[in-house]
Amino acid sequence: MSSVKNYAIKVNHVTKKFKIYYDKASTLKEKLVFWKTNNKNEERTVLEDINIEIKKGETVALIGTNGSGKSTLLKLMTKIIYPTKGKIITVGKLTSLLELGAGFHDDFTGRENIYFNASIFGLTKSEIDAKVDDIIAFSELEEFIDNPVRTYSSGMYMRLAFSVAINVNAEILLIDEILAVGDQHFQDKCFKKLEELKNSDKTIVIVSHSLNSVRQLCNRAIWIKDGHVKMDGKADTVIDKYLEECK
Amino acid sequence: MQLIKNLYNYRELLKSNVKKEIRGKYKGSFLGVLWSFVNPLLQVAVYAIVFPYIMRIQTDNYLIYLIIGIIPWTFFTTVINQGMVTVRMNAGIIKKVYFPREILPISVAFSGLINFLISCIIIVLFCIFGGVGISWHIILLPIIALLQFILTLGIVFALSAINIYIKDTEYIITFLINMLFYATPILYEASLFPEKIRFILYLNPMTQIIDAYRNIFLYHQLPSLAGIIYLALIALVLFFLGLLVFRKLEKGFAEEV
Repeated sequence: MSSVKNYAIKVNHVTKKFKIYYDKASTLKEKLVFWKTNNKNEERTVLEDINIEIKKGETVALIGTNGSGKSTLLKLMTKIIYPTKGKIITVGKLTSLLELGAGFHDDFTGRENIYFNASIFGLTKSEIDAKVDDIIAFSELEEFIDNPVRTYSSGMYMRLAFSVAINVNAEILLIDEILAVGDQHFQDKCFKKLEELKNSDKTIVIVSHSLNSVRQLCNRAIWIKDGHVKMDGKADTVIDKYLEECK
Repeated sequence: MQLIKNLYNYRELLKSNVKKEIRGKYKGSFLGVLWSFVNPLLQVAVYAIVFPYIMRIQTDNYLIYLIIGIIPWTFFTTVINQGMVTVRMNAGIIKKVYFPREILPISVAFSGLINFLISCIIIVLFCIFGGVGISWHIILLPIIALLQFILTLGIVFALSAINIYIKDTEYIITFLINMLFYATPILYEASLFPEKIRFILYLNPMTQIIDAYRNIFLYHQLPSLAGIIYLALIALVLFFLGLLVFRKLEKGFAEEV
């Protein structure tokens, strides 16, 4: 079984349907009274029979229009939601950056939040101890790190969150549209860090609309359209085709 | 097995979550964490006044009898009440980050256990100064507390997951707990009931638990072995049943919550 697994993420015939509730019956009474009519719940198929294999060390972009299902695919990979049909296998420690600052506590200080956030990603205290200085240095928030994060500006908040996520040393990094973090200076820094990670052995999957960054960063792009893989290949080729259709 | 692996890998998260549960509940109040000890004592004070004088209950050492009933009961109900809503309360993180979801109910149960063990100091103080004294039987406390922990955790596993899908659970359970309070010999003695129907009282695992605590603290004797075995069986069955329910339902948390 444990033959050479050279893939990091394998998406195998995955279909995801969401139930559309027009008026969600969530109390017992409503469930009992309307249990027949409730079965008529509309379902929307967001992804249908997706097959993707992402190799270790690849940097892949998921592109597509709004509502095409790329964020859903990313959520499926992180195991926040589960496929209706099919299977997703990931190999190695995984970190996701779906929304920056998920799990931050406003009353905790920046430092406490680093510990809390990193522990959500599954790090132990000693591991965080070893990294906390790097994280603070990367975020450039030394002056404010012992203030509660509710006093932070939104840019500072994002910087801290990004610094934690990018420094937890996961083998797979899933990022949803957050290349636009902070000011120009910090954006460049993040970009550099991502390139550094790309050149090390990390697997990165990015959902993004900033196609120029994608072109620079990724060697492969997957174009998702209406829940199907429309095109999969070299980033430049796929993006060109995508732009052509968007016109 | 998966459970143990997850807990080990995410032990730091568990630790900080337990801390948050203990600190967070009474945050902003003047007495803070002290409330978790003051609250049951105030409750005891009410019953200690009402029952002997109005209901004419004549139990020896009634005050201590009450305390040994109320404090474990508080452990049980706080964990159930907080645990039931813990998944819903943490909707924000559940939707955005992956982590083993069982950490949430487990942290609630752990914080309850820690609170309870600290509260046991109050029981011991009352035993010493109330003239009952203490005996070696007290070393059995961790075993009974552990059984209660497993039992409660099992219930919380199931309830926290079901509550996401059926919001009425909260209200139904609040009522049931209220009823269970009177179906457990906390305020009265089991011997109040005729022997023929007394066994019904003892089917309630909480009766067994509180009985065991009273044996080791108040009566200085070993809890009944049959009772403990029965309790352990119920606790384990509920634990695995609860975990099963939780595992079945956790995959939909992010969508339903």
